[in-house]
Parts: sequence; structure tokens; C-alpha cells
Amino acid sequence: MTKLTVNGQEIEVDASPDMPLLWALRDKLGLTGTKYGCGIAQCRACTVHIDGEAMPSCQIEIGDVGASEITTIEGLGEDGSHPVQRAWVSGNVPQCGFCQSGMVMAAVALLEKNPNPTDEEINDEIVNICRCGSYSRVRAAIHQAAAEMQKG
Amino acid sequence: MTKHDKIVLSRRGFLSAAIGTAGAVAFNLTIPAPAHAAAEPVELHSWVVIKPDNRVAVRIPQVEMGQGCTTALAQYVMEELDLDPVQTDWEYYDPATNQARDNVYVHTATLASFGMEMLFMPMRTAGAQIRAMLVQAAATRLGVDAGSLSVEGHAIGDGSASVSFAEVAADAAALSVPQGVSVKDPSQWKVIGKPLDRVDAFSKSTGQAVYGMDLQMEGMKYAAVKQSPVYGGKLISFDFDAIKDMPGVIKAVAIKAGPTGYTVPPTLWDIIDWEMDDAVAVVADTWWEAQQALNALPITWHEGRHRATSTDSIEADLGAALDAGGMVVRNEGDVETALQDAAQTVEAEYHYPYLEHAPMEVMNATALVDGINVEAWAPTQYGDEALRIAAYAAGITTIRAKFHMTLAGGGFGRRLHNDYVSQAVQVAKQMKGTPIKLIASREECLARSYYSPIMTARFKGGVDADGNVTAWKSHSAQGRSVLQPYGMTRTVFPFANINVQYSSVEDTPLPFAWMRGVGHTQNAWMNHGFMSELAAAAGMETVDFHLKHLRTDAVAEDRADKDDAIARIKRFQRVYDHVLSKAGPAQEQGKGRGRGVAVYDMSYVPGFHSSCIGIAVDLRLEDGDVKLERVTASVDCGLAVNPQIIEAQIQSGIMFGLSNAINGKITIADGKVEQSNFDSYDILRLGEAPQMDVHIMPSEEKVPAGIGEGAVPVVIGALVDAVWNAGGPRIRRLPVRDHDLTLRG
Repeated sequence: MTKLTVNGQEIEVDASPDMPLLWALRDKLGLTGTKYGCGIAQCRACTVHIDGEAMPSCQIEIGDVGASEITTIEGLGEDGSHPVQRAWVSGNVPQCGFCQSGMVMAAVALLEKNPNPTDEEINDEIVNICRCGSYSRVRAAIHQAAAEMQKG
Repeated sequence: MTKHDKIVLSRRGFLSAAIGTAGAVAFNLTIPAPAHAAAEPVELHSWVVIKPDNRVAVRIPQVEMGQGCTTALAQYVMEELDLDPVQTDWEYYDPATNQARDNVYVHTATLASFGMEMLFMPMRTAGAQIRAMLVQAAATRLGVDAGSLSVEGHAIGDGSASVSFAEVAADAAALSVPQGVSVKDPSQWKVIGKPLDRVDAFSKSTGQAVYGMDLQMEGMKYAAVKQSPVYGGKLISFDFDAIKDMPGVIKAVAIKAGPTGYTVPPTLWDIIDWEMDDAVAVVADTWWEAQQALNALPITWHEGRHRATSTDSIEADLGAALDAGGMVVRNEGDVETALQDAAQTVEAEYHYPYLEHAPMEVMNATALVDGINVEAWAPTQYGDEALRIAAYAAGITTIRAKFHMTLAGGGFGRRLHNDYVSQAVQVAKQMKGTPIKLIASREECLARSYYSPIMTARFKGGVDADGNVTAWKSHSAQGRSVLQPYGMTRTVFPFANINVQYSSVEDTPLPFAWMRGVGHTQNAWMNHGFMSELAAAAGMETVDFHLKHLRTDAVAEDRADKDDAIARIKRFQRVYDHVLSKAGPAQEQGKGRGRGVAVYDMSYVPGFHSSCIGIAVDLRLEDGDVKLERVTASVDCGLAVNPQIIEAQIQSGIMFGLSNAINGKITIADGKVEQSNFDSYDILRLGEAPQMDVHIMPSEEKVPAGIGEGAVPVVIGALVDAVWNAGGPRIRRLPVRDHDLTLRG
């Protein structure tokens, strides 16, 4: 049994400690909003927050998480009220949508560090793959969410 | 401490989770159930379901893989029934029902950008018929003449009395479907042509959207799969004892990789693919445990006759086919004499690599074989075929089979093949009563897929002293594929002397797939690139040279397709003018700055109805690399059903084409694919994406043309011109990043 703190809840997971967090979330806890796309930290569809930092959950063994707080897309709130999610919906960002959980988590972490990022800063921080090519709308939605969050 | 239970649904609740969550619209309103409403949802004329709470679900016979069909196709029915967008849901058509009702859903394969056009009349007609049925039922209920009633807000009334759709749905369903019902005149449209928001934006921004990979069932186990790494290989043995004590491991089974999934029974050219190769699946409690055990499983393969095949050997075979001469698919005038008489001639050889679609969601399917029944779930572009394949793999009749489509995390043509459905059913057949979710790793997806075929083409052209093309000759040779010379034969330019030859080298190991842009991608890019080479030989600017040859007066009088040829030339001229004006003046060309412009229409045959798209690419060559700055697109797509989705689709096609052309290649060594994951098969990232400005051209047409693929072929032509105009190399082989991109001396 490995103890994890997921979306504010302490949970015991019956899996070997070397299981990647991604698969513990999906196959052991049923939190399927976090996606598998490559398993080698290239596509970032599996992005979650570990103590607020955007991390690829495919690269983190559950035995190494310890008491760190894990936040998944489900933990942002099921009502979709986070300003980043609101900007995503109003901007019609998703196409196939499979990468968008990871995109949203990466964008939320970016805006928490940097409330008003420039295009260059977005380029450096948002390295998730979107095969549908939603990048223009992702960029626009990040700027919109930044403006909303600064209004408070 | 709380023990977090895995979220599991009973089988009964399973489907509603899979479909209901995906189909819910962004703003669920709670509508009180009307007094006389039926307690159960009522299906009307196969196409809509009216629910007790008066919400209406529209049946969608295409897969939602990002292209927005669940929003845009629903607009057809919403228009005829005057549905309220916030009270409208969608659900997938059922393939078994479609089979039982003689293809009532008309067009169920999601391919060739056909969906919006093929379903334009059928879905509006169905909507109008359902409206007439509801109105007739309401007239009977209210005791008034049907002609006095109007429809608004999911209710039917005459000002003094009204009934809701839900109240009369059951009565309407008992009526026969009226024939000869008119659809609305376009002047009455309120929904068609409007940029409705995507119905799936909310579920996909909150992690609630359920893709095939996300399905969960009580007692479900997970399978990881590996096919022979060499194409044509056979399984000799594997040693389950070596992995049986690994965590979570349950079983290892030998299966077949499955049929191609596009044609059952197989046509001649699919025979090599029909049973494909042997494969091994490992079943475990979680997918990661299954994959870890599969990685550790000792497997002995007989590699077969392709074990020494490489990209070089395949290209040598293509070269030999080109040397031998091909099937003449177009011949007008006398090209050999014209070449002899030309002031100068130019020759070039172009190369296009194998490519894989790489949708973000890997191939997966869930299956349950229970007694004499089979039930399967998967993201697929062809649900009817998936149903047949599930039944075939289970060894039972399709009458005992059920297949359910799920949301798809991309497709791009890969999911026209249902090999993964076959694989999941074969595993489930060996574990009767246990639901099996089979997932192929990204590595497996790249190593064993169906590929956009490799192609080499040789060109020879002649130019006279005034810079007119007087002779055009091409011969293209493709690896195993369906016959697709259309991109070469369908050049828009009315050359007086033209000879086009085509060869297909069938004994190449990689199985064929259509990929977004299909054979137009290889051919249109090469044709465009060689035309630009002739421009350089004539000493002209590339755009001026292309425009100079768009001459309606040069179309031969005796051409059978004369009217079509002239109409296409005029359309290309309009689109060139539009995109050039929207792109504005180009910066000074050369010294690292370049613009390329191309126009194309993906026309397969004379009279084919398609979108015509013009694209201007502005880029820099800097530090030996390409930096995309801006892409301007002009889109003539006829009726624009949902302009905001069209904009997204054009941007998507631009990025797909650019990513493939700049980075993409699948290569073979020792009979195996060399690329294993996104580290060796990279996709353009946000920081590499250009600014994209999409302009939908005004159109008088009242019929939509497809927009899913059209940007892909055209953007590559514009890209390679831009590289040349910036002072970079002439790109005759993709991908672009395989070239030395330093400026010419």
C-alpha cells in the first residue's frame, strides 16, 4: 500500500511503489482525466500538479511522491469554473481534446508562477503536443485567462 | 484516512457514462418534465431521441475525433426542428441498428472530408420529416389543423394551446414517416451558417470527456499487445513462466494482429494484410503491469522475408519501377517532341517518406465475449466495419454482436482500420465473461500501423524562350497503396503536351493507410514544387509564374472535361487573388526571409465538389533552422455551416501538414520501423507554430464542401517555396529538417 494525497484526499493505493503515478491515477483510482500519450515525458498529456508544479505523471513513481500534494484535472473543480477552464470553453479550444487536460494543467501552473506571461514565456512553458494543432487558441485562451485572473 | 474506491460502473450504467458525459452540452438547464411526457426516451425516425425532460438528442453517424461533427452535423437537425442549442444533446448512431435498418444513417465511415456534404440532405430531410410527424401528432392531440401550428422551443402550438415535444413524441413515433416533405429554404436558416460553440468544449476542458481509453467496467482487465516487430513475421513461441509472477499478471495469449479493418471481405490488394501478422497480448490488473510484463516476456519470432528490407531497398524498388516505365494515366499532345523543341528543359526527382498518423490517443478497444455474444467499444472512424470485425474475431454472426463508438482522441485516417478491435475481441474470447481493455503503447502504435505510403516521382519539363511551359512529364511510384494517381493527373494547368505515368510497388512491407490529405498530399506538393523549379529556370517569380499559367484560353477545345478545367482555373485565380490580398505585401525576399503561396482543391475527378484553399507561408531561415512566422489561408468551401469550426479545422490542417513536412518520416531498417516514440517522431510544438489567419471566402453556394483535409496538401507546396525564396535549398525530399537549411551562397 502506498499513501498518496490526491485532490486534497488521502488515499491508499494497492500497487507496487514503482508504478508510475499516471497509471495509479487511471487504472487504480479511476481518475481518467489524466491521459497517456507517450510514457516518456514527451507529449505531456499526463501533466498533473505536484505541490503546484506541472509534472509529467508518467515519469513519477508513486513510491517517490511521499506527502506531496497531487492535483489532477478533476481536482481543479468539476464545475469547470477555473478561469483557465472558462477561457478554454469560451475560446472553443479543444478539438479532439485528448491533450487538453494536460494543456489546462500546464497553463494553470504557468499562470500561478507568472500571472501575465508574454508569448515567448508561453512558448517556453507550454511544450505539450497537440496533434490537432489547437496552439493558436491555446495561446489566446492563456492570455484571456491571465486577464480574467488579474481582474480578480 | 479514507479508502478511495475505484470508480466503477455497472454494465448497465456503462454506456450512459460513455455516451452521456461526452454528449452533454456546456450549459445543462434543468427542464421540468411535462405532465404527459413519456417516461422513457422516444426514438423518432432513427435520427432523434426525445427525452422525458424535453431535451432532444441528435444521432451522429460520424466519429467525433476533433473535427467538430457532433456540433456541426447536429446543426442540420436543429435547423429543421428549431431546436434550442442548450437543450440539444448528441449521441452516436448504433452500427447494429444501421445494419438492421439497411444503412438508414447513409454515411457512417468518417473519411475523405465527406461528412458535412454527404449528410447535408439526409439529416435536414430527416429533421423536416420528424418535424412534420411531431406537428401532426400535436394537431391530433389539440384537435386543430396541423397548418395552424408552429414550432418553437421544443413545443408545438397555435398561440392558444401548446404541447411539448416530449408530450407527443410517442404519438409521433407511431405515425408513418411522411414523404415529399420540404426542407427549409436557406433564407429561413437560423442555425446553419452560425458559429455555434462546440458542444464538447466543456467536457474536454474539465477531464470529463470519456474516450475509448477511459472506459471502465466492473471486473475489467487490461491487455498490452505486441506484434511481430518485422513486417510479415510469425510467432514461434513465448515463455509465460518467465513473467507469471510479476505483479498483476494474469495471462499471455497468442492472437492475430487482425484484418485491415477497411474492407471485409478483403479485396485483392488487402490480402497481404488480411490476417496480418502474429501478435502476443499480456493481460494484467492494470495496463502498466501488462506492458511491463510484455516488455519482459521472452518471445521468439520468425522474422520472415522482410527481415532485410530497409528504406533504401524500398526506394531502390521504386526507382526500378520508374526506370521500367509505368501505367500512362494521362497523355495529351506530344510531350517528347515538345521537350526536344523546348528552349530549356528541367529534370528533378522528388521523395516523400512513409508517415504515421500519430493521433494523441493510442489504439485501444474494450471487448466482452460472453457466451454467444460479443460486445465491443472503441474509438473508430468506421463503426459498421468494427461491428463486423468484432463478430468475425469472436467467430459469431453479426446479429449476436454489438459495437459502441466512443470519443476518439484524433484519427486522421488511422482509425479507419479496426485491427485493435479484432485484437481486443480475440483476447476477450480467451477470457470469456471478463471485459478486456486492450491498449497499444505509443511504441507499438508507431512500429505496427498502417502508413501513408512512400513515393518517388520523376519530372521533366520544357520551357520556351518566353517562359511558357511547353511540356510536362511526370512518373510517380508509390509503395503498396490503393490506386491514387489523381494528384498528378489533376494538375490545374492546361499544358498542351502532358504525359503522366503511375506505378505502385505492391511488395513493400508496410500496409497502406489513407492519411489526412490522402494521395493529394504527395502529388500536389511535388507538382507545385516542380512548377516552381520551372519558374526559376524561366527567371520568374514563383507566384507570377503559377498565375501566368492559369490560362482559360489555353484549355484545349477537344478536352472532354473542358468546362470543369475552365471553372477550376477561374476558381484558382480567385483564391490566389484572395490569399495574396489578405497576406499583404511580402517582406523583401531572400537573406533568410521567404514567402511561398500555393492553391489547391483536392479534386479527384472532373466535377468533384471540394473546397479550394489558398495558403501563404511567411518564414525565416535562421541558425540553420526554419522559423514559421505567419500563415494566411483563404478558404472557398461553399456553404460555411459553422465558421468557427471551419477556422479551427483549417488551422489544424495547416499544423498537420507543416508538422509532417518539417519533421515527419517513418524509416525502415532490418524490416522494422526505426521511430519509436515522439522523441524520434516529433510533432511541432506551440512555440514553433506560426500566427495563423484564416479567411472564409464569401460564397453563393448553398452546399458545403469538406474542410478537414484540404489545408494539408497545399501548405506543403507553400512551405517549400518559402524555404527557396528565403534563400534556402530546393526541397525535393521531405522532411524539411533533414536538409542543410543554411542560406545558398
